[in-house]
Amino acid sequence: MSGGADRIGAIVRTDFLIRFRKVSTLVVFLLISFSAYLWVPDPASGQALLQIEGRRALYNSAAIGMATASIGTILIGLLGFYVVSNAIGRDLRSRCGAVIASTPMKSAEYLAAKALGNAVFLATFVAGYMVVSMAMVLVRGEAPLEPLVFARQYLLLAPPTIVLVATAAVLFESVRWLSGRLGDVLWFFAWAGGMAMPAIALESEHTPSLVRYLDVTGLGFLISRMRETLGTTQVAIGTSSFDPSKGVFVFDGLTLSPDWIAPRLVATVLPLVLLPVALLFFHRFDPARLPSRVRSGSARAGRGWLGGIERLLKPLTRPFSLLRVRSASRGGTSLWSAAREDAYVTLATAPLPATAILVLAVVSLVVPLGALRSVVLPIVFAVVALLVADVPTRERRNGLVATVFAAPRLAPGFVWWKLLSTLIVAALAASVPLVRLAVHDGPAAGSLLVGTLFTCAAAVALGVLSSNPKTFVALFLVFWYAVVNDGGSTPALDFAGFYGSATATVTLVYLALALALLAGAQGFHHLRSRT
Amino acid sequence: MLTIERVSKRYRKGPWAVRDLSLEVDGGVLGLLGPNGAGKTTVLQMVATITRPTAGRIVFDGADVARTPDALRRRLGYLPQDFGVYDNLTAFELLRYFAALKGIHDRDRVRRMLETVNLHAVADRTVGGFSGGMKQRLGIAQALINDPDLVIVDEPTAGLDPEERVRFRNVLSEVGFGKLVILSTHVVSDIESIATQVAILHRGSLLALEPPEALLSRARGWVWEAVYSSEELARVRDRLTISGAIRRPDGVHVRVVQQEPPTPGAVAAEPGLEDAYLQVMSTVAAGAETGHGA
Repeated sequence: MSGGADRIGAIVRTDFLIRFRKVSTLVVFLLISFSAYLWVPDPASGQALLQIEGRRALYNSAAIGMATASIGTILIGLLGFYVVSNAIGRDLRSRCGAVIASTPMKSAEYLAAKALGNAVFLATFVAGYMVVSMAMVLVRGEAPLEPLVFARQYLLLAPPTIVLVATAAVLFESVRWLSGRLGDVLWFFAWAGGMAMPAIALESEHTPSLVRYLDVTGLGFLISRMRETLGTTQVAIGTSSFDPSKGVFVFDGLTLSPDWIAPRLVATVLPLVLLPVALLFFHRFDPARLPSRVRSGSARAGRGWLGGIERLLKPLTRPFSLLRVRSASRGGTSLWSAAREDAYVTLATAPLPATAILVLAVVSLVVPLGALRSVVLPIVFAVVALLVADVPTRERRNGLVATVFAAPRLAPGFVWWKLLSTLIVAALAASVPLVRLAVHDGPAAGSLLVGTLFTCAAAVALGVLSSNPKTFVALFLVFWYAVVNDGGSTPALDFAGFYGSATATVTLVYLALALALLAGAQGFHHLRSRT
Repeated sequence: MLTIERVSKRYRKGPWAVRDLSLEVDGGVLGLLGPNGAGKTTVLQMVATITRPTAGRIVFDGADVARTPDALRRRLGYLPQDFGVYDNLTAFELLRYFAALKGIHDRDRVRRMLETVNLHAVADRTVGGFSGGMKQRLGIAQALINDPDLVIVDEPTAGLDPEERVRFRNVLSEVGFGKLVILSTHVVSDIESIATQVAILHRGSLLALEPPEALLSRARGWVWEAVYSSEELARVRDRLTISGAIRRPDGVHVRVVQQEPPTPGAVAAEPGLEDAYLQVMSTVAAGAETGHGA
């Protein structure tokens, strides 16, 4: 047993070192920690972090602690998954997994170690975020800092989510068909939808108490305790305007009432059942059980049911071969022709989303204009995001950087090459809606054009900066979810004019953001190329 | 020590990677030769308990490795093909990590092993900046850290420069004493000086398992040195099995592996292991042409 514990310890320690020595991890760590500063606005600005029906909470340790903990828990649930769901994949890509598989380490030990490593990493993130949030009590200076009260809010809310994300990431990496982009998308919807269910159910006082045990996010616990201590569930957490004339209320913090002890403990331990499930599917780096796209080293070549569907749809991608450069004598010498080839590769190697583009183009021709904007366009952008996420990172991930950079212009013009390539894919997807909008509503077409540029610029910039397609997928899906949920109520979120609420200023801001992202990516690429 | 009994391996609905393979070795260095796709890596992965045979069994010191893999894993050192590293760990950290997974917690042993592979001077440098040869030496260090009885190295010299190849070969022959080392390669010179047995694989089947001397004896009388002009050589190249060529003032001196002298003036030459390997392979090719197979 001691041998097993030693092996688990070695993996946890090594995973921690590998992750925290990456510049990208440190940047994300600092960004998330810094975000705590943004969540706690100065009340003099007319905005506050926590309020009930326009009455803001005093910025004491309990209020800032509870509010930042609940925001942090949601962030960890959504983004943390994408950050940690590469622990097994890293061993696979480096071939260290084959060495590990040849040692006496049991598969159960390995999976437990990976889950524990994920949990330690996420807990460190949460701890850093908590410390910066604590500092905000001192910065705002409305009440003294009470570290224990502050930490209690985090301990009551965050652990179940950390355990769930840590174990779910291991499960998703172990199940062949969940280990790719499909798993990334499924997690997003599973978390955004399924995890909020207990919170919604617990808003009612008559919900069966069994639901409490499934309340992994802690939102149900939060709502329930609010109802008991403050007599309301209408709590607004997150930066929002308040009514200064209503004064402030003092929040004493979340406490663990006896009826919530078992549910919180069970919600923390329950996700561990995912590990035995992962064990059933874990390949232990056996090439006979690995996804064939991994075994062959190619970007996509699935067997299994998903691979079967892709093979079936493959002929439908033939029309995209028109993108290819025909003349050998003239082809391959400009960024434009290289981008056309690159766009073709994107579409030809992803038959499922490529077919979705064709289907959406047909649907865009026949649906009413309103449905085109608010229903079809969001779907188009989600499909485009999944398609282009890989584009700026695939050379680096497949060891083709040197090969590609040997071609004329591609090394210095990498960012622009990839931008053109993603724009071609996005333009194909959005062309029919764009034409229809241009005919009926010129400004909306402009907004759509800027939204397309913004999406492609974000994909390229985040891909270049992080060398990982998941960075863009995770951030864009969260943003997309916020936009679609908002339904146009907030003009600033209507980045592509889905709901017609984007003003000219909003469109210009997204254009500026796109240009800033591209400038940042070019600067980073230039620096990396020189070193 | 190691017995492979009628082992076959097939990946899902693909072709057979290994077909009905049997061999038995007691110790020393077994060189596994064969062209790309011969099944060398699959054989090594099965012996290293990475993947299970579809049929047949592999026995190490009396124990079936598929049934009791941990018995072998405790005594195994494995260096896979294209061994990679975690770029931002130091050499010492990476080796200590693999040592811990194998139940070795002696930091001095880790340091000594780095000395053995001549990486002690860079022990505290991150391995992302290492050359291919340095990474491979780190790979062999992790394979040997638990003082294994069975060492499996898969294409260990691929991508190494000639100096690194020689250094790697020396390390392996030094530490391989008293163990069973299985080394797969398609470069014959990698095993010429260190192999005690050579197994030649082709399309998943075993063509030969013999000591190098026996292979060399078998090839005697099959190796010729002939002199061609460049034009002549270009004409006949496709018809000959050539194991080497040197350009000299009187023409190109070519080593040809075949039963009959390629030209009337051809002189019989002493075979090397490369010639012997080509002789086995050309026999297979001739068998395939006449429909007799291997």
